[in-house]
Amino acid sequence: MIRRGSLAFLAAAAALALLAFVRDALGFPVFYLVFLSSIWFWTAQATSWNILSGFSGYFSFGQAALVGVGAYTTAVLVGRQDWPFLATLPVAGMLAMILALAVGGLAFRLRSLRGEIFALLTLAVPFILASLARILPAIDGGQGVVVPTPDVSDIVGGFQELLYLLGVAITVGALFVAFLVQHSRIGWGLFAIRDAEDVAEGLGVPTFRLKMLAIGASGLIGGLAGSVFALQIGFVTVEAVFGLTIPLFVIVMCVLGGRDHWAGPLIGAVIVVTLQDRLAASGFEGWSMVILGTILAVLVVLAPDGLVTRIRRRPIAVGLAVIVPIAVLTLADLGDGLIDRLAVGLAIAVVVAFTPIPAWTRAWVRARPSVRGATAADQRVTTADRYLVGTTVPAARPEPTPVDPAATASTEGPGPHAIEVVQVAKRYGGVRALDGVSLRIEAGELVGLVGPNGSGKSTLIGLLSGVLKPTSGRILVAGRDTADLEPHRVAHLGVARTYQIPKPFESMTVRDNVAMAKMFGRQPVGLEEARHAAERHLALVGLADRADHRPSGINLHERQLLEMARALATEPQVLMLDEALAGLNPAEIDQAVAVVRRIHASGVTIVIVEHLLRVVNQLATRIVVLDQGRLLAEGEPTIVMQDPAVVSAYLGRPADA
Amino acid sequence: MIVIQAAIAGALTGGLFAVMSVGLSLTWGMLRVINLAHFGLILLGAYLTFQLATDLAIDPILTLVITVPLLFLAGATMQYAFDRLALGEFNSLIVSFGLLIIVVQVVSNLWSADFQRMDATVNPYATRALTIGPLAFPLPTLVAFAFAVVIVGSAHLILTRTYPGRALRAFAQDRPIASAYGIDHVRLGTLLAGATGGTAAAAGMLFALGSAVIPTAPFEWVGIVFAVVILGGIGDAVGTLLAGLLVGAVSGIVSVVVSPAAAPLVIFSAVVLALMLRPNGVFVRRSP
Repeated sequence: MIRRGSLAFLAAAAALALLAFVRDALGFPVFYLVFLSSIWFWTAQATSWNILSGFSGYFSFGQAALVGVGAYTTAVLVGRQDWPFLATLPVAGMLAMILALAVGGLAFRLRSLRGEIFALLTLAVPFILASLARILPAIDGGQGVVVPTPDVSDIVGGFQELLYLLGVAITVGALFVAFLVQHSRIGWGLFAIRDAEDVAEGLGVPTFRLKMLAIGASGLIGGLAGSVFALQIGFVTVEAVFGLTIPLFVIVMCVLGGRDHWAGPLIGAVIVVTLQDRLAASGFEGWSMVILGTILAVLVVLAPDGLVTRIRRRPIAVGLAVIVPIAVLTLADLGDGLIDRLAVGLAIAVVVAFTPIPAWTRAWVRARPSVRGATAADQRVTTADRYLVGTTVPAARPEPTPVDPAATASTEGPGPHAIEVVQVAKRYGGVRALDGVSLRIEAGELVGLVGPNGSGKSTLIGLLSGVLKPTSGRILVAGRDTADLEPHRVAHLGVARTYQIPKPFESMTVRDNVAMAKMFGRQPVGLEEARHAAERHLALVGLADRADHRPSGINLHERQLLEMARALATEPQVLMLDEALAGLNPAEIDQAVAVVRRIHASGVTIVIVEHLLRVVNQLATRIVVLDQGRLLAEGEPTIVMQDPAVVSAYLGRPADA
Repeated sequence: MIVIQAAIAGALTGGLFAVMSVGLSLTWGMLRVINLAHFGLILLGAYLTFQLATDLAIDPILTLVITVPLLFLAGATMQYAFDRLALGEFNSLIVSFGLLIIVVQVVSNLWSADFQRMDATVNPYATRALTIGPLAFPLPTLVAFAFAVVIVGSAHLILTRTYPGRALRAFAQDRPIASAYGIDHVRLGTLLAGATGGTAAAAGMLFALGSAVIPTAPFEWVGIVFAVVILGGIGDAVGTLLAGLLVGAVSGIVSVVVSPAAAPLVIFSAVVLALMLRPNGVFVRRSP
């Protein structure tokens, strides 16, 4: 995939570059080169935006800041310091990247950061830079900076050719970076962040690092293209580079083109630039912002997934919708030049792409792939069944001691406990959620964690998975203090959890949800291997026949099983199930209990938080009772449950006591 | 002395920020809508004030009689549409960004992209100032400050003392429960958004009173207004007023002591700090 892609990108770059040299021979006016250069600039900017905002979901309104830093770097260095243009290009890219990393380093460290806040922070950045540039005479001082046209060597041809070639190089490079990101673990991690960031972190995805990578790449591309933009406009002013045109354009391009594919920004840029060009040519330039603003508002409401998914559903129809009108118009000699005809073709193609697929074609299109999918699914079911038959589920309660050599291996002799909690307290403001709790969990146990609502169970789970940090006390996982570890590092130590309300990655299939966790496990693996391994975990929880479904297409019970499969894919030593049976009917509960036993039998230590005491009594080898943030009791289920303190915590004290 | 003058003048200017921010803060906090188009309404308010005062030769403050109902209608309609389309917090941000761009462009097409200022004969406030000892305060900022106190005060009273206000706060805290108790959020939301449209009219008028209007002005406001909203605590009317005064005073002092260029930097850093240390707002009295 990646090798083929690299070759395709190289070939595309070569072919596009060639156009600059043979343009004269083909008889194209230089105007087309200017038009294409404009498309390259916007494609690069939109791609820069999309790598961060489209992939990770952190919407930025600050694209103008990257363009501005890139453009002003080049303008000041070329125009005032007499640097050669090409030397300023890397400086511009680096400075924009440093700015992006600084913003990301600040913003992504905020615990309370939500997408809306990030968007607003980025909205303020260009505004601040603009006021700085306006006031500092070393940068601009309010009059703008002239960028003199550099001497162009004869090999390249003329100035427009130089701009065009730079545009091709940067844009194809940017698209290639986006392509690589999308098809690598980075891309999967970013998609997971967009769908459910805290879950991704808990599964071992280094979310902070991935976001910094994305924002850094975004900054570099934005700065490089901004530098060329300075040359293109020749006179850099605050209004030209820091205005809101830039964020509006890139956001419309990406939302229109499609945000979860590298080609989305390219498609969007071609359409928007053509539209803009035709509006300007017909004297409606003043209304282009109105039209784009309308497009944005309507798209977000009606078709937020953009064109790319629709085109991929029927590439031939959309392709014909572009080419046929252009051919017909050319033959009939209608319209004013190529761009007019292109505009007509694009308009028809957009209409075709957004038209719902008629029912009969849909049946025909779906018929082909589903045949293959169905047989594959059938095979998986059979392997799953064989697997299930093979693992004899213990009919009675599982042994209270480790049953699997794999589990005992990590805790030979008096080695570290699987989890050790020492005098841990957690306060929120004045509220004590946990107070002086000490607890040990040994490998191979199945611990039931119970307590009334508000007793601190969820806080304890949060602390153990590293999302929360204790106010005082220590938490050791496999002998390692987790106080300074980010949650994904705790996950790599072998702690996984499920959520009471399942939080699947909605944009991925059930199989890829599990594969995701595999890809970011302790030993990172590639996509194919991860998908293969995912089958095993899906079979263990009995979801093999749902592998190709989207999470939205399976029921609550299955979503909870998916939570377990996904957590198991991280190959945990300790798996924490947070009310994994809530909201299930009795038959589903029995089935889920069987799954929990199977997981335990495979050598995983389990901590189960549950309100159904019947289930906990049946399953657990030991019970830990929390009440009002304190450890109330622990020990054998039958003994603990008769403890008067436990009974009164659950049922209240007798009236006469 | 010059620092004190700058601080007080800045704080008074902060009244204008507070009027601009309070509507945004309330719809964000109560209705979970981040309405960038609010800035568009303020801009419309400013231009309508300019146009009406110039054409009819009336006191600019009197134009509120016309602009407040107009923008009430605009705000209410917008919120009704948002509600109908079931836009989430995030999508509302993007959609209203599109709307803001549309308003800016339409204003620019109708009134030209250049600075415009009410004539001195129409606007008696712009050139006057109140002098107390060595300190001088321009009249427009005093008027803005008075409006801020009145608007924020009445918003606070309505939210805490009246049934619709309490219903809105209940709705902000827990939507399903509030709905289960019979709170009609569509009507209340439309009403609140309409009222914030009215505050936008006032903010626009106050801006036109002291400054020249230009279609791109909203983009100058966005940074400061969001700083005020976040520092004041999202959805907290009184916090917005205090934050407005604080931001105004700080930028006034920084502009004089360091340089005007540094003011946005200081404010921006303050927002980042506030988000890190006090994510629920600087002036929150209760523990979260």
